[in-house]
Amino acid sequence: MLVLLEAFKAIKEKHLEAKKIVEEATAQAAKLMNEAEKKALSVYEEAYRKTLSQAEQKAMDLKREAAKEAEKKLAIFLSTAENQAKGIEAKAKKNFKKAVDSVLNMILC
Amino acid sequence: MESTRVITEMILDEAKRSAEGILQEAEKSAEDLLEKQKQRGVQKANEAAKILLSEAELNKLNSIANSKIKANWVILSKKETWIDNVLNEAKTVLKIMTKTKKYLPILEKLITDAGVILGGKELEVLLNPQDSALPLRLDNIAKKITEKTGFETKLKLSEQKLEVIGGAIVRIANCKVIMDNTFDDILRRGEKDLRFEIAKILFF
Repeated sequence: MLVLLEAFKAIKEKHLEAKKIVEEATAQAAKLMNEAEKKALSVYEEAYRKTLSQAEQKAMDLKREAAKEAEKKLAIFLSTAENQAKGIEAKAKKNFKKAVDSVLNMILC
Repeated sequence: MESTRVITEMILDEAKRSAEGILQEAEKSAEDLLEKQKQRGVQKANEAAKILLSEAELNKLNSIANSKIKANWVILSKKETWIDNVLNEAKTVLKIMTKTKKYLPILEKLITDAGVILGGKELEVLLNPQDSALPLRLDNIAKKITEKTGFETKLKLSEQKLEVIGGAIVRIANCKVIMDNTFDDILRRGEKDLRFEIAKILFF
């Protein structure tokens, strides 16, 4: 009988010990979640800042590239235009008198 | 005694496993929460970045379009210069022509046409000082206008002088109605069509 009582006592003690272990773990888990929730805003802000900063850098690079590309294109377009202008000038010189005569005809006839 | 030890060990083991599970689950939830927040931050930033990048892309397209416009402008301004040259040359030729014998019948025709358009009757002719000195046959011109309009027409040279290359303004006497047949006004009236015609002749 005494042995049985001792056994129950031991089991009860261990049961209390086990309950304490679980309670401690639960408290620690709550603490972990609490900390995570506190940290969440700064994680959000950090991710936002970092990503945006990368995008800003990329946009600046794009703008720089665009300016360079536009400059190159302008040089190409201008060179083509200059060539076309030469052609225009040649035709205009050739047809100049005809054009003047056409204006005079329109006024005098 | 042995069985008691086994039972108590089982209780403790179970409690430890349970505690470990609780902690693992909490750690995972915390990690998930932080990861979720991180993704939210990235997503939000990406939305803002999208606008930035599309602006940059738009700038690029604008810059290229502006380059094209500048290049086209070179050609257009060249063409415009040539068209202006033709019109200026035509004015110079007209000025020279007003000093020749060919001019008198042309001026008479311009006066006749203007008089017919106004419907004849009492008309005044306005000229520049040089043309006012020409031997214009106003009676003949009036006769032609009378024939064409069916109304007895009288022409009188106005004392008011014009500052024009040549041609005439004809005015109904004592009235504000005029017909401007000066070279200057004919050119001005027809300039839009003329520029188009000149361009066709010059560049095609």
